[in-house]
Amino acid sequence: MGNQILAQAAKDAGAKAMFGYPITPSTEILETWAKFCLKDKSLSFLQTEDEMAAGFATIGACLTGVPAFTATAGPGNILMQDAFVMAEALRIPTVAMIMQRGGMSTSTVIYSQQEVRLTCFGGNSEGFRIVYSPSNLQELYDYTLKAFRVAWQYRWPTFILADGYQAKMKGEVEIPENQKLAIPNLKPILTKGVNLRNCYNMEEEVGEVIANYYSEYEKVRPEIEEGEEYQIKDAKIVLLAHGIVSGAAKLAVNKLRERGLSIGLFRPITLRPFPVKIALKALSGAEKIICLESALGQLAELFKKELHELNIPLKEINKPALGFTPEEIIRTINQIK
Amino acid sequence: MEIEPKFPQCYKTDSKPHKFCPGCGHPIVLRMLGELIDEMGLAEKTVFLIDIGCSLLAWDYFDLPTAQTHHGRTVPTAVGLKIASPEKIVIAYIGDGGAYAIGLQHTLSACLRNNPITTIVVNNTLYGMTGGQLAPTTIDKEITTTSPGGKEGFNTIKGPELLRNLAQPEAYLARSSTDKPLVLKQYLKKALEAQINQHYAFLEVLSSCPTNWKTDAKESIQRVQELEKTFKLGEF
Amino acid sequence: MIKILIAGEGGQGVQAIAEILAKAAFLENKKSLYIPNFGVEQRGGVSLAFVVIDDKQVVYPKFEKADILAILSERSRERVQPYLDDKTKLILGPAITKKTIDLPSKAWNILVLGQINKEGNIVDKQSLIKAMEERFVNQFTQNPQLREIDIRALEYKK
Repeated sequence: MGNQILAQAAKDAGAKAMFGYPITPSTEILETWAKFCLKDKSLSFLQTEDEMAAGFATIGACLTGVPAFTATAGPGNILMQDAFVMAEALRIPTVAMIMQRGGMSTSTVIYSQQEVRLTCFGGNSEGFRIVYSPSNLQELYDYTLKAFRVAWQYRWPTFILADGYQAKMKGEVEIPENQKLAIPNLKPILTKGVNLRNCYNMEEEVGEVIANYYSEYEKVRPEIEEGEEYQIKDAKIVLLAHGIVSGAAKLAVNKLRERGLSIGLFRPITLRPFPVKIALKALSGAEKIICLESALGQLAELFKKELHELNIPLKEINKPALGFTPEEIIRTINQIK
Repeated sequence: MEIEPKFPQCYKTDSKPHKFCPGCGHPIVLRMLGELIDEMGLAEKTVFLIDIGCSLLAWDYFDLPTAQTHHGRTVPTAVGLKIASPEKIVIAYIGDGGAYAIGLQHTLSACLRNNPITTIVVNNTLYGMTGGQLAPTTIDKEITTTSPGGKEGFNTIKGPELLRNLAQPEAYLARSSTDKPLVLKQYLKKALEAQINQHYAFLEVLSSCPTNWKTDAKESIQRVQELEKTFKLGEF
Repeated sequence: MIKILIAGEGGQGVQAIAEILAKAAFLENKKSLYIPNFGVEQRGGVSLAFVVIDDKQVVYPKFEKADILAILSERSRERVQPYLDDKTKLILGPAITKKTIDLPSKAWNILVLGQINKEGNIVDKQSLIKAMEERFVNQFTQNPQLREIDIRALEYKK
């Protein structure tokens, strides 16, 4: 199951502690990790009293150089923003798996892509985060391994932004031998002489901190950004989608290409930092972009913000809290053109 | 001749049969509450607030103004409502997660402030709706999905006893059980009367969860009776 | 590619047979993707399972129209009408057909599993049995009779 794969990947990545509060559809990540702890005494687990505690406990562990992670969804994600924003301010490499469920409020326990904005910019954040959007079970594994390495290397809170479908899907995953690469730059953050604060007195003080963060984020982002082009060569229409929707979109692209339509897909893999350069190159020949997402324009909003100079007409197909089947995408595209 | 017991007047009949699992303790508590609301003539004044957990399934149970809140936030919602509309009878109907984990600070704070609300906590020693995880009320060595080796090293929370340290003398704090519904009804009545008399009221009810306990009918009843040894019944 | 949708009440064992089917496909080196779909109630309420089996990698777990649609309860029937078209093979469980079945109702989901497999000619019976043994290892160890009942259910002919 997706959730079990995530817990396994965290273990293989070298994570040593997990904190969390049960919330569907992420609960199996906690339960799987709790079982690991029975067999492997070097691992720790605590089910905290709530998600705020889970987030801050994760930070606590990271402060001493122990790779720790958490997992949540929906209303739990909202509560964790309190902790995530502090992680941003203090440059703490937390890793969190967000299994998107219906929005708004409690909604469904099932699925959506409605936590994009929250995970990228939640709380009073300025978005100094790394957010991966995997699209299948194999990527849940691969990108979790990557998330730990990237988090500790660059020191921004890092997220695996998946969803309830990927959480509960069961299928096969390849786990390569010798996958366990050490996490780079793994050392305690709170040591002698280190005094961390997230509270400042004057505007100029925090202004300088944010300016420095911004310039560093912009400097390292080309090393972190990822995006995927699919059948993009001379595609006049380009679909824009992320996560599991991009999987369905690929199948639709295949079928539509068979019928002679000049169509491709661009898929951002990192939503933060958004893969701007890669997107510009992929979309250079497009005449129309069609954005498909299980939210009300959250991906489209990110895209427009980062690629506002791109002068290509963008159409949004929004289905908040609902999935897209490949057949449905094909029908929708046929209706539009 | 079969005599069907009448539903309380304040029940919403088109939401029956209810959505709780077979053998769940919630319908017993709700039944006693419904009868009391009828008997005490409180239907016009009562506002019924519920948590996110199994209690959320009672959202259309009563023909009373009802609202789901967010998990653990039922008590502060009740507090605000009561302050704004003191003539209402406000019930915060929650589970052991909402009362003692994510909502513990709200439970403690409402008691500390002597907010005149009635909190009813249905305690099945685990988190039911998410599939049976550890709760602050899980007893020693109890196996749950997040304590697969059995709970160890943590204490078990005794809510009403804890609150007695914070509460004003006139606050009503008690614990009953779905195994003794008539006593439960008596305690519920006192918990509502306390609010009418401007005091804080907190009633924990031991309840069965055959689905997550994986017990049959007989075992479920026995288990509730067993729990009464750990969680003392009575008024505190 | 074969697309199977199974629908029933929470507690009828819909997810169990979907898992067994997906696992059996894996044992035969086929590719499969299975996903459950249900609400918050732990019991009752409609429980759906989508299973897609193919020779090549399955990329998306859900679909519009089912090749095989198996319904185990009357209440779930309404929910799954949109997945039915004139090509869909429909299988109705014993709770709906109300035919007399010489099997305890606990095993009716396994009976339906057998029917699904027969209808779609999906996997070998042996693979199903092996997958069942893995899924129910605790139950079969505690009560060996269950294994016999379930195997009988798998082969049950109307």
